[in-house]
Amino acid sequence: MTAKPIEADRIWRGIALLAAYGLPIFFILLPLCGFLVYSLFWVEGTELHYELTLVNYRRFFTDEIYVPVLRQTVVLCLEVAGLCIAFGYPVAYFLSGLKGRKKYTLLMLLLVPLLMSYIIKMYAIRSILGGNGFLNRSLIALGIIDQPLTFFVFNLNAVLLTLSVLLLPFAILPIFLSLERIPKNLLEASADLGGSNAQSFFRVILPLSLPGVISAATFVFVLAIGDFLTPQMVGGQSGFTFGRIIYSQFGTAFNWPFGSALSVILAAVVIVAILVGARFGGEKAGVHR
Amino acid sequence: MAVLLELKGVGKAFGATRVLEHIDLAVEDGEFITILGPSGSGKTTILRMIGGFTQPDQGQILLDGRDIAHDPINRRPFNTVFQDYALFPHMTVAGNVGYGLKVRGTANAVIKQRVGEVLDLVQLGSLAARYPAQLSGGQRQRVALARAIICQPRLILLDEPLAALDVELRKQMQEFLKDIHREIKTTFLFVTHDQEEAIAMADRICVMNYGKILQLGSPTEVYYRPHSEFVARFFGDNNLIEGVAGDRGSVATPIGTLPCAADGTEPAAGAKAFAVIRPEAIRIGNEPGANTVVAGQVSSVNFGGAATVAVVDVAGVPLRVKLPSRAEGLPLKVGDRVQLAWRTEDCRLVAA
Repeated sequence: MTAKPIEADRIWRGIALLAAYGLPIFFILLPLCGFLVYSLFWVEGTELHYELTLVNYRRFFTDEIYVPVLRQTVVLCLEVAGLCIAFGYPVAYFLSGLKGRKKYTLLMLLLVPLLMSYIIKMYAIRSILGGNGFLNRSLIALGIIDQPLTFFVFNLNAVLLTLSVLLLPFAILPIFLSLERIPKNLLEASADLGGSNAQSFFRVILPLSLPGVISAATFVFVLAIGDFLTPQMVGGQSGFTFGRIIYSQFGTAFNWPFGSALSVILAAVVIVAILVGARFGGEKAGVHR
Repeated sequence: MAVLLELKGVGKAFGATRVLEHIDLAVEDGEFITILGPSGSGKTTILRMIGGFTQPDQGQILLDGRDIAHDPINRRPFNTVFQDYALFPHMTVAGNVGYGLKVRGTANAVIKQRVGEVLDLVQLGSLAARYPAQLSGGQRQRVALARAIICQPRLILLDEPLAALDVELRKQMQEFLKDIHREIKTTFLFVTHDQEEAIAMADRICVMNYGKILQLGSPTEVYYRPHSEFVARFFGDNNLIEGVAGDRGSVATPIGTLPCAADGTEPAAGAKAFAVIRPEAIRIGNEPGANTVVAGQVSSVNFGGAATVAVVDVAGVPLRVKLPSRAEGLPLKVGDRVQLAWRTEDCRLVAA
């Protein structure tokens, strides 16, 4: 009699285990391995050869296009992360200083863009940044410039600005959460010991919110580097990024093995970024334990 | 003693709730003063006002004759030991302790030397490089104290700093705080809800309830000469016998008219009142020197370590009698008829 529930228990536990490990394995790890395997095949004309070779990786490192584009993309995404932190931190700081319902209402408003379609946001930004867009026309109307500016029209700068605007909520949220976790009495203690507001900020708040800043930066960087749609839509001819190259390998060039190889390389970059973030974030956060 | 800090007519309300009513309190230079009261009595609000964490609605807080009630926190020459220590988790012990000097722009070499001295004073010299998370509760407590004394404040505010410690450690820390107080001779203002702690540590105790100061005096004064029913009940297991106040400090009770010591604070004749007698002031048997003698029957005898408490029923009124315990047991059994005796000066009269 007593054995039965235990037996059922074990079955349920087995199913739970299978779901916990099975889902990530089936839907994340296996496809990734698929990419890895595919990247070792090669293409001749339109014919796919199922033989293992490193020719795709050799091409990546020897061709003079790919490594510079990857480097440029990494720099771009670091800039995006930097911009998001620079604008997100003050917003998060302001938010965490608010009281009660006002705080969470405003936070919800800031997060609303996350629920909107990516494509709609992109078109909105295009109409702001374009040569004849809102921004240029406003500047002309204000008499600040005579001719439309071109430095943010369909180039890498446009990609930088667009990605920053799109990803800003991903920076605000972790920073806000880390600021919320700082006990208020630490600020009282700092003031009590004679610290000015600026000293309390730089010596107490900023160091304690650093784990949040690092995870915000990691978040934004990883999301930005995997994006190919934004550069495609606002990058024009010069706004070329690694994501677009991968996209073209799968699309126009129809070279899936080479596209897979580039994807594996990008995945490696992302993994390194996450590890670096975890290392620094963990080191700072480790103090709390 | 000179007055260091004076609260004059200080009041505070949070919304519709009045937490402090017209508080007058003078803190003397160099004393160890304890504000004692149950939670919600307003004791922490007083401390937070002196520290600058809240502002009073009315009244003044005078330091050297100047009202500092609305000065910013960081301009006050006071430092606080917070209830949960509020140590900076990202700084080492040395970093925490040196913080007050650091923000004043003190040279690093001087900070290092002072931190060393203060850590030696609190016996934590060897843990300077640790982080707060790597310390025990008692050690954190001492770091918080070191951090508060390093800037040599005029007044140290302690907000229930021992509440989180277990009993044994709390006793040790009480001794330790007293030693430090003697050593550095700074004024300590200590807030607690624990009457034993207050008695063990303070030079003066300020008993509070409902946002008012009920009694201010030395530990023996508030312990032996309560001025109100609340204070009488707050300090342990007093016997309170209800009756009606008569002339010259006497009180008519169900066990007879009891003479009480008068000090001018007792209720007027005819008012409802309590006779208050400490259980350890009552003797069994008619002793020489005793002015009041009543007879009763023992209803229980409870061994409690150093003391044994007997409850004696006197004309329907249970009186607790605390006697020193003996290994062979006390010669008292339930049902024994005994005489209880006490001196007039051990019986106080408070308003009901």
